[in-house]
Amino acid sequence: MTNSRKISDVEQLIEEFQQSGMRELHVRADGFELYLSTNGDDAGLGVEQVVTTPAVVAPVAASAAPAAAPVSAPASAAPVAADVTIPDGSEIIRAPYLGTFYRSPKPGSPVYVDVGSEVTPETEMCLVEVMKLFTAVRAGVNGRVHQILATDGQMVQADQPLFVVVAA
Amino acid sequence: MAITRLFVANRGEIALRIVKAAKGLGIETVVGVSEADIGSAAARLADRAVVLGPGPAAKSYLDPRLVVHAAKASGCDALHPGYGFLSERAILPRLCAEHGIAFVGPEPDMIDALGDKLRARAMAKAAGVPLVPGSDEIKSAAEARREGDRIGYPVLLKASAGGGGRGMVIAHDGDEVEAGFAKASAEALAAFNDGTLFMERFVPQARHVEVQLMGDGTGNVVHFGERDCSVQRRYQKLVEEAPCLAMPDKVRKELHAAAVALASSVKYRNAGTAEFLYDVAREEVYFIEVNARIQVEHPVTEMVTGFDLVQEQLRIAGGSKLSVKQSDIVLSGHAIECRINAEDVQRGFVPVPGKITRWEAPQGEGIRLDTHISEGAEIPPFYDSMIGKLIVHGKDRAEAVARLTAALDHFIVEGVPTTISLHRAIVRHPDFIANTFHTRWLEQVLLADGAVISE
Repeated sequence: MTNSRKISDVEQLIEEFQQSGMRELHVRADGFELYLSTNGDDAGLGVEQVVTTPAVVAPVAASAAPAAAPVSAPASAAPVAADVTIPDGSEIIRAPYLGTFYRSPKPGSPVYVDVGSEVTPETEMCLVEVMKLFTAVRAGVNGRVHQILATDGQMVQADQPLFVVVAA
Repeated sequence: MAITRLFVANRGEIALRIVKAAKGLGIETVVGVSEADIGSAAARLADRAVVLGPGPAAKSYLDPRLVVHAAKASGCDALHPGYGFLSERAILPRLCAEHGIAFVGPEPDMIDALGDKLRARAMAKAAGVPLVPGSDEIKSAAEARREGDRIGYPVLLKASAGGGGRGMVIAHDGDEVEAGFAKASAEALAAFNDGTLFMERFVPQARHVEVQLMGDGTGNVVHFGERDCSVQRRYQKLVEEAPCLAMPDKVRKELHAAAVALASSVKYRNAGTAEFLYDVAREEVYFIEVNARIQVEHPVTEMVTGFDLVQEQLRIAGGSKLSVKQSDIVLSGHAIECRINAEDVQRGFVPVPGKITRWEAPQGEGIRLDTHISEGAEIPPFYDSMIGKLIVHGKDRAEAVARLTAALDHFIVEGVPTTISLHRAIVRHPDFIANTFHTRWLEQVLLADGAVISE
């Protein structure tokens, strides 16, 4: 098999991938395979593990308790930061219901707000999704984002604090 | 060659339905589950369960590489995608083909073609399937009037570049369409930087009618009659029935013929559904799209035809020809399905995950329940809210409605709110009983009436 692809081709592909806004790219040709992802813990990057680790294919007996699943993913329910500081005159913006917290409208796009962002009552702060229902959470106050208490993709509880906004 | 071990690339009730269908054919099953579904009914019933990844669907059910590698690693020679998730993503059958796994569905190129609205419309047109009457580009107010007169009012002026309702104007006569032209064009220009307009007939009272098709990939296609799925909220179906009694026999025959012609013209393989809008006032059907998968509401068709559609899918994916001729398919009686969702009807239909603390399902003649839920089951927050489908069959629609009403009254679920209360109100409504509803009826009439739904 001739190695017709030079490193510079790969570098160019990576550069174009980064500029394209695509989340994933999988190239396969002439015995050459390249998988690019913008997400460090993308499930696809663990594909080799799936193939080679027999433990992943866990038989589940019909009657017995299910076999323990190999937990390869990073904990999605990261604890809320312990050092929450709530300055005077600040407002806490909370999750409307249990669901997944998203900081941007879609994967890879810019976040709605960051620490320091000026907000108005109508400003969309984040999305919370439960069972395919997405709800945009609005600031409800004029102010500036002081702290963000949840991480993108994290499961949050109903009424869990998400943002601290210092009212203007 | 016939399938020996099937990978089920889905969850919930349809995963369980597929496992049961495969067992009935003597096929081994492997279910790919997320960590949230390890204890699910499908995982327990299958010969094996394979953990794909964590709960969020993007890292488990929606990752085609992961799914196909799991199917390969567990020695499967076929894969059923169910509905939703990856079922209409061409990458899944492409990866299956690369790994020598038979895909229970159409070819990937067909999925791509049907997923593209314009290509699907072109296919339908070529097969002589009726489309919504419409125009090409409209360049002036005078032309708008000429086209409106030709198509027939009311009409909808639409922006070519459009979406989201902007640049859309409904006109009921020639004067309105002339006046509407300037407004729609200006709106389209402002919203999309492109003022190009076209026109379609507007159907104020439509029924959603769809034809169940099955093909073997050689041009042989049969239909299993139609379903009426007009009780909808925000384009989501809530109640489906078979057959559609709102349609005269002559139109029904034309509908079946059009759907079969379309599928046959492209040598469609496996199960598919051709969706149409039925214009009640004009008694005309217009093509919407083809869904290239088994649908949620397939059980109403099974109840009136007596055929197991999922088993037929598996036989075709295993290389068999159709097991039935059109003349073998005879409709009997009437069937209605209610989708039971874990949603709080009182709070704007917000989905509610949680634990089922009580589950008393109705039983009796003509009652079928497709569900993965039992008492103590957990509804994870990651997936859609459907927890079951209650299906009834009766000798006619009146008997089916009566059985459904009684069955809903005996269906007790506690732990999460469900749409059972809404279904009880629907089946008792005079419009539902008289079969005079349309696709906007639930929102415009029943839900608009206010607090008719109580637990």
